[in-house]
Amino acid sequence: MLRDVLGGRTPRVLVQGATGRAAQLHLRLMRRCGTEIVGGVSLTRKTPDVDGVPVFTGCAEAVLETRADTSVIMVPALSVLPAIAEAIDAGIRLVVSVTEGMPVQDAMRAWHIVRDAGADWIGPSTPGMAIPGRLKLGFLPDAALAPGPIGVMSKSGTLSYEVCRRLVRRGIGQSGWIGVGGDVVKGLRFADLVPTFHHHGGTRAVLVIGEIGGTEEEELAEALRIHRFDKPVFVVLAGSSAPEGVTMGHAGALIHGGRGTLASKQEALSAAGAKVFTRMEDAVEAIAEAIGGGGMASGQSSEETSRSVRPAGR
Amino acid sequence: MLMLEHDAKEILAGKGVPVPLGVLAESTDAPLPDFPPPFVVKAQVPFGGRGKAGGIRSCGTRAALPALLGEMIGMALKGHPVQACRIEQAVAGAQEFYLSLSVHAPTASVAVLLSPEGGVEIEGEGSAALRSGRSRLGADAIAAEVARLAEDLPETVRSAVTAAGKALGGLFVELDALLLEINPLFVRPDGTWLAGDAKLILDDNALPRQPELAALLRARANAYADTAFKLAQGFDFVVLDPDGEIGLVTTGAGLSMKLIDELIGLGARPFNFCDIRTGQMRGDPARLILVLQAMAAAPHIRSILVNIFAGITDLAEFADLLVKALLAVPEIKVPVVVRLVGNGEGEAAAILAGSGLPLRLESDLDAAVALAVAESRKGARDAS
Repeated sequence: MLRDVLGGRTPRVLVQGATGRAAQLHLRLMRRCGTEIVGGVSLTRKTPDVDGVPVFTGCAEAVLETRADTSVIMVPALSVLPAIAEAIDAGIRLVVSVTEGMPVQDAMRAWHIVRDAGADWIGPSTPGMAIPGRLKLGFLPDAALAPGPIGVMSKSGTLSYEVCRRLVRRGIGQSGWIGVGGDVVKGLRFADLVPTFHHHGGTRAVLVIGEIGGTEEEELAEALRIHRFDKPVFVVLAGSSAPEGVTMGHAGALIHGGRGTLASKQEALSAAGAKVFTRMEDAVEAIAEAIGGGGMASGQSSEETSRSVRPAGR
Repeated sequence: MLMLEHDAKEILAGKGVPVPLGVLAESTDAPLPDFPPPFVVKAQVPFGGRGKAGGIRSCGTRAALPALLGEMIGMALKGHPVQACRIEQAVAGAQEFYLSLSVHAPTASVAVLLSPEGGVEIEGEGSAALRSGRSRLGADAIAAEVARLAEDLPETVRSAVTAAGKALGGLFVELDALLLEINPLFVRPDGTWLAGDAKLILDDNALPRQPELAALLRARANAYADTAFKLAQGFDFVVLDPDGEIGLVTTGAGLSMKLIDELIGLGARPFNFCDIRTGQMRGDPARLILVLQAMAAAPHIRSILVNIFAGITDLAEFADLLVKALLAVPEIKVPVVVRLVGNGEGEAAAILAGSGLPLRLESDLDAAVALAVAESRKGARDAS
């Protein structure tokens, strides 16, 4: 389903937990980005509608009434697993769960529910995804979004905001931006997105925002090789200074017993042909040099376009 | 988080897992065990490989314990000071196995590892004797996988390992564990088994539905400072370098981590990691005050860098809270460099500029970092 959406399909979107304080705000902001939100789901149904979007008490009814195929889940952490199960059961094909703090064993259970149904899950603990100018599922910040040729996959919200904003200021935007999240067990992983970006005509290069811990970057390197991925891949890795055994915010970003180290990731990705950076600005420079001018899709302001042809050095 | 061995064993023993008799000694004059020697004295540190580093010692008599504790408590293992030791009854005449259950993230399953060659040398992979399998998450599925891996072992041993697999598989699920590793798993000639060591990683995210484990963490907050802090305060704050010179007030785990990388790359000494989660502050400067107080109490802070990239948060509100917090912690006399991006950044800049506080505003992150580093070096020169 994700590949169809990147390819041009317009998803019909539900928001689960739609009447929550944050969800009401995000529902409005997502609509402002062009997202076709067709319904909300709330067990308590405190209000009959949010921003004019009808609210239902369950996914099955909502899907029946609205023909929704996608859901953005904004419910408390311990309720994410049942919300995903309900969405998949109702026939939803793409779920984006933004909530932080989902128990890992819940994520393991959700992974199988989604996989067994052949659907896609982005999350947990992610700002979501966006196709700038067309669609936003979650809350990626507008200050970092612009249409362009870079496919982005990221474990970290804020780090991807910072790098993408710097690129946008140089006139280079995104073809699609998927935050996979920093948790240990998750739906779509970096490696799963390789065929998606490989086949996506609008993507000319890929930016990966990774970090220490786990094996996702190593899996990505393997997938790049298997798919003979021939678009340039730029990687920013966080955590070069993290001490062993100390968790810095992301549950997955933990070096344990010598595994998940930066060196292991650097080596695997470099061997697969990716360019790996530890300084944000070095990655931005390299991308600007490789993509050069014309990194912003048409329809941008002349100011943004003129920026894109500035020389790379500041 | 990784539980210290003593706590892991107390948790497991409370659920019926057989473990050697043991007591925790947090000082040299701690009450001595009431069970007979020989003893093994084990440093309680949150990482593996302590045996090779000298953190596990044998002790033949009760009389020798205080001196040995005196030697071990306070010693540094891999740079980490030993705060406590577990005094345990030595186990003799048993075969040693290795059994590990862990989360295999790419397949959302449980990785099961079993080796008939337990002990300090095994570190997972590598060993030819290691048997590995995967199971779906579930007590019965894990137990069945352990039994399958033990199938060709001699009968007495096989039944002991299978029993261990059943008990530990159930607890892996019940405790919301991410890793449960028993090495060595002692199997006695009579077919009984005992968890000789226990490495248990619990899921911080599951603590809200694990009240017993959350209570244990609160009771032992001194041993699990970072997790206890997060549990109590709702955000991450980790002191990385007690002698650090730059205090960080930042949001977002990845960007905060990257900032630390880049500061260290410049030869600077960041004091802390911080993910303050501006979205959860809801008009209350309490989190900022807490963080600033920690910095005020640190001996060598020379500058503070505030970096907030707000997707949704109203930066004007944040700026207002930052001013309130700085006024509430007047002990902060070092330069504060502030970089805010996102919603309402213009209004936020006006609030900060009009506060009368000596704040340095920067819109570019690299420039803000350079300024914070320069100020910290200037501060170091002034102090020397």
